[in-house]
Amino acid sequence: MASSEVDIKTRSRALELIRSHFKKLVEESEKGHKLQLVFPKRTLSNTIYDQKAKMLLLGPDVQYRSFTDINEAKKFMQTLLMASIIYNTLRNNEYPTIRDLFYRGKHSISYTSVDGKTISENSWDEQRESDSVIRDLEVLLNILREDLLILSKEKGKVVGNLVIRSGNDVIDLSKMGHGAYAIEPTPDLIEFIDVDAEYVLVVEKDAVFQQLHRYGFWRKNKVVLVTSAGQPDRATRRFVRRLSEEYKLPVYVLCDSDPYGFYIYSVFKVGSITLSYESERLSTPTAKFIGVTLTDIFGTEIFKDVLKKHGVKEALEEVTKGISKLGSKQPYLTPEERKNFVIKAKLRDVERAVELVGYRVAEACLESPEYKSKIKRKEGASGYPWFLTPEWVRELCIFFYTTSKLEIEAITGKGLKFLADEYIPRKIKSGDWIE
Amino acid sequence: MSTIGEKYTSISPAEFFYKYREVAGFANPVKAFYQTIKELIDNALDATDMHGVLPDVKISIERADEVQEFYKITVEDNGIGLPPDVVPYAFGRVLFSSKYSMKQSRGMYGLGVKMVVLYAQMTTGRPIEVTTSRENYRMIYYFKLRIDINKNEPVIIERGAWRKTRDWHGTIVSVTIEGDWNRAKQRILEYLHRTSIITPYANITLITPENEIVHYPRVTTVLPRPPRETKPHPHGIDLEMLKMLLNNNGDKTLEEILVSSFQSIGSSTAKVLLSTAGIDPSKKPRELAEEEIQKLFNTIKNYDKYRPPLSSALSPLGREVIEAGLKRIFEPEFLYAVSRSPRSYEGHPFIVEAALSYGGKTPMSPQDQPVVLRYANRVPLIYDESTDVITQVVKEDINWDHYMTSFPAQLAILVHICSTKIPFRGVGKESIADIPEIRREIRLAIMEAARELKHYLARKAREKEALRRVETIAKYIPEVARSLLIILEDESNEYAKKTLTHKLVTLVSKRSGVPVNVVDSIVKSVEIGA
Repeated sequence: MASSEVDIKTRSRALELIRSHFKKLVEESEKGHKLQLVFPKRTLSNTIYDQKAKMLLLGPDVQYRSFTDINEAKKFMQTLLMASIIYNTLRNNEYPTIRDLFYRGKHSISYTSVDGKTISENSWDEQRESDSVIRDLEVLLNILREDLLILSKEKGKVVGNLVIRSGNDVIDLSKMGHGAYAIEPTPDLIEFIDVDAEYVLVVEKDAVFQQLHRYGFWRKNKVVLVTSAGQPDRATRRFVRRLSEEYKLPVYVLCDSDPYGFYIYSVFKVGSITLSYESERLSTPTAKFIGVTLTDIFGTEIFKDVLKKHGVKEALEEVTKGISKLGSKQPYLTPEERKNFVIKAKLRDVERAVELVGYRVAEACLESPEYKSKIKRKEGASGYPWFLTPEWVRELCIFFYTTSKLEIEAITGKGLKFLADEYIPRKIKSGDWIE
Repeated sequence: MSTIGEKYTSISPAEFFYKYREVAGFANPVKAFYQTIKELIDNALDATDMHGVLPDVKISIERADEVQEFYKITVEDNGIGLPPDVVPYAFGRVLFSSKYSMKQSRGMYGLGVKMVVLYAQMTTGRPIEVTTSRENYRMIYYFKLRIDINKNEPVIIERGAWRKTRDWHGTIVSVTIEGDWNRAKQRILEYLHRTSIITPYANITLITPENEIVHYPRVTTVLPRPPRETKPHPHGIDLEMLKMLLNNNGDKTLEEILVSSFQSIGSSTAKVLLSTAGIDPSKKPRELAEEEIQKLFNTIKNYDKYRPPLSSALSPLGREVIEAGLKRIFEPEFLYAVSRSPRSYEGHPFIVEAALSYGGKTPMSPQDQPVVLRYANRVPLIYDESTDVITQVVKEDINWDHYMTSFPAQLAILVHICSTKIPFRGVGKESIADIPEIRREIRLAIMEAARELKHYLARKAREKEALRRVETIAKYIPEVARSLLIILEDESNEYAKKTLTHKLVTLVSKRSGVPVNVVDSIVKSVEIGA
């Protein structure tokens, strides 16, 4: 197989990066310095939300991984082993997945201990371990795995008025028939040739994406239509980010109306906690949550009722200022429709919501005594800073109060026409979104 | 009970022991066999190491009758030998002994070998044979004797003398007794084994009736310092001894008697003692009234300004001998011996020595205490272990946890007590009584050795821990080296591989303090699977 030019360039750049880094490591140790790797700490405590950049970033903490430290020796060995495997795959023009890398490096290491016993262990036992050192290498070398030609499963799809070059082929994404272009695991190797769109619409659900595609939604509205098919992978996020950054296209995200949907939106916008070191390249800070919101379902009157209850207003004001001064709006659903489409939130959903906005909001707004007692153990959870805005707190407050959620499919139950021709265009036109 | 007309007859000591032989350990054919061997070996060793001679002791036991369980026991030593005129009494009259003076020796009651003779007479009727010569003698003397039990007198059956054709000195004793060899064998071997532990300077050979040879070769020429004869310490005497002294020195003044009979009494101390007792120093013993003797005795006992008893009468084994002995038998990984300074109880000097042997071939201990090897005046104590003060100290006074030791362990503790008077419990002479001064010394000696053991174990644990730590790093050296060489595109260069591996080994060695060759051996043992 003939590799494309970008591919070859990427390989030689990665090889050079790895070689020079470890050459320096050996030279340093020859000068009498410790044989150690220094890289940003990838821990929750060193993950911070940058209010200004509006994204999750790695903090300033640095980790030292020294070979002569008995607690780090194995990790050190694993890191070098992984580096050597990746180095070999780059040299041999291979495209491994992280699972391939796990199997390639998994082997036994045995030795004879001082008391004469032969002890055997594996270089690593679980993929969790090898995945972890891949992430370590990404931050150590300051390079994304995609640029090391490590592939992952293609999950994201895209259609729209968009012409790209992938490898040596030019692809027109408006001519995909009923299918769609699967976003390649190395989106940085894609070249945008022509983009003719007003905005990007990211849909959480693959089924909704297909319906909108067949309905001709993107053609009619000049939209680049993307789906992440659930939790977004890195390639999808990077692809969306490039469209936002390089073509200044507004990005709207359409998810289920539940805490999981809200979180998927936030991954697009600010990044994820486990991959915070990549936020700068993967997140789209301007992304907007178009729906479905709880206020789309219930309107804002219901929230005013909650605020009237004893102590609620004060508690919420403490969490985020200005919550009582939010504007009002009418619901998109009639009471009858609401009754049919809404489903009851499970404890799991409530707990996830507590993680997003904190225990105080839940305590103030929850009506159900059963859930109230069960989330007691989450006391002290303070929520993610990027969710502690008046708009999001109002959403979650209604969620706690009604313990209701809604899947986007339910909206299509009101008619695909309603979703495509009314709901989405109206919301975008009126600026009815949350940031 | 009517006493009138009751007849009281005195019996000779020989007759007494003949009738009450179990007192001296000759109760049955098993005990008697053991006791006979023990008495003869003790005598052989006393004749050698107590006089600065490196012992060569040969014991042979042969079946002496095809039908009956008769055994001929012959013990030969290279000791100082006996003057021919002493031989009949040394072997043929109960209570005649050279061992009444104030100096340490293995036996004390003067009974041992005579009981052997009596027992032989009683069971097989065969006489004892003694061959002896001293260093400067030109002749070797031979006796065949028995004891006249009623008269407590030796009966010489045969005697002879030969010109020495080689430079030999020592004593050969042969007796034939009835015994139960099969059941006594283990005890006898145990006794020999225990004896050999503290006599590394001796060659000891035993030939059994089965013609098995048990041999303990000499491993050192260091001998313990021989004991010197001393006068008794005034605190160590009893009223009877004092009366005997007075009787035997009838024509001396009291002052002269005190000065010449005791250590630590000069003429000024003698005067102080006599004036305290209200007795004229120039008085002669026969002029003393009974109450005056009693008063003098009390004064001597209560006076507290004497120097402590002289320890020159004692012959401790010394650290070197104890360590050589334990090393010969147990080849331990840790060994430490303590020889305490002399102390005294009730006017008797004593020295406590202790040693710990750990690991190697040291036997495994029971569940609750170390193996205890007890010795009194160089005689192994094998029975009545639980009542012995040494065992009590080991079990009650020492907190072994404190010394990083838990049982069972390959740990043996040796305690040797030497004294001019060992305070045995009972006549079995197998167990030492609980005397506070002695108990304290035993405790201090064991604690000193145990502290050394603790240091050793702590160091060993540290070293092992350091090795464990270095192992967790060193085992990854080959993998790290291989990975680096792949990245440096040098993986097929054997020289580069060697150099880099050596660099990593040196680095790990330097960081951990574990020697390069140790790290290297771990690295060499590593195998990387496919």
